[in-house]
Amino acid sequence: MTFETQVKLAIYRAFAENVRAPAAESLAAGLGASLEDVLAALAKLRADRVLFLEADARTIRMAPPFSGVPTQHRVRVGGIEYFANCAWDALGIPAALHRAGIVLSRCEQSGEPLTLAVSENGPEPCSWVFHSLVRASRWWDDLVFT
Amino acid sequence: MLFFRSEELVTEWCAARGMTPGPCVSIDQLWALSTTWYATRLTPEAKRPSPAEMRGIFASIGLTGPFWDPEARP
Repeated sequence: MTFETQVKLAIYRAFAENVRAPAAESLAAGLGASLEDVLAALAKLRADRVLFLEADARTIRMAPPFSGVPTQHRVRVGGIEYFANCAWDALGIPAALHRAGIVLSRCEQSGEPLTLAVSENGPEPCSWVFHSLVRASRWWDDLVFT
Repeated sequence: MLFFRSEELVTEWCAARGMTPGPCVSIDQLWALSTTWYATRLTPEAKRPSPAEMRGIFASIGLTGPFWDPEARP
């Protein structure tokens, strides 16, 4: 397993267990690696579009489907409440964890709350829709806007 | 990437901002995308789909055309 993969797995494990993004220093300590090596791995994972980092190049903003900052898309799984980056990622969290959950979000136009139960086999019947304003070829141009 | 109660509300939201609506995706289609994209994300083998794989994933649930092509020119 490459070092980048070890770093990636440690990040996802931290999100799954603690909801929050791990600090680079914490990753280095946990992996017995230098901070420089962890920062290089983060840069590689960002370049490969696995992660999205803040401008400081060390703070993890997104490890999709998990968000490192609070958002309007929350997902409750097993008593833990996670933040998702977007509507797609809100369903992505139960999918990634292979566990049932409750998606809590809203209609962006009306403000109506959305409460959507998702089992391991999929969401309950729901007539709501998902909408992306940005075409696939531009998603990473401004990932926060996307 | 947002949730809306209906396609009509998508149209209203875009019109209020002078934006052209993109395609709407059903919740069942979104679940198919989510499982394909993320089911292995916490494993060592996980990797981001290639552009060709992305087109295949989108096409498998009926999402085709330039909007869903990761290599389409603007």
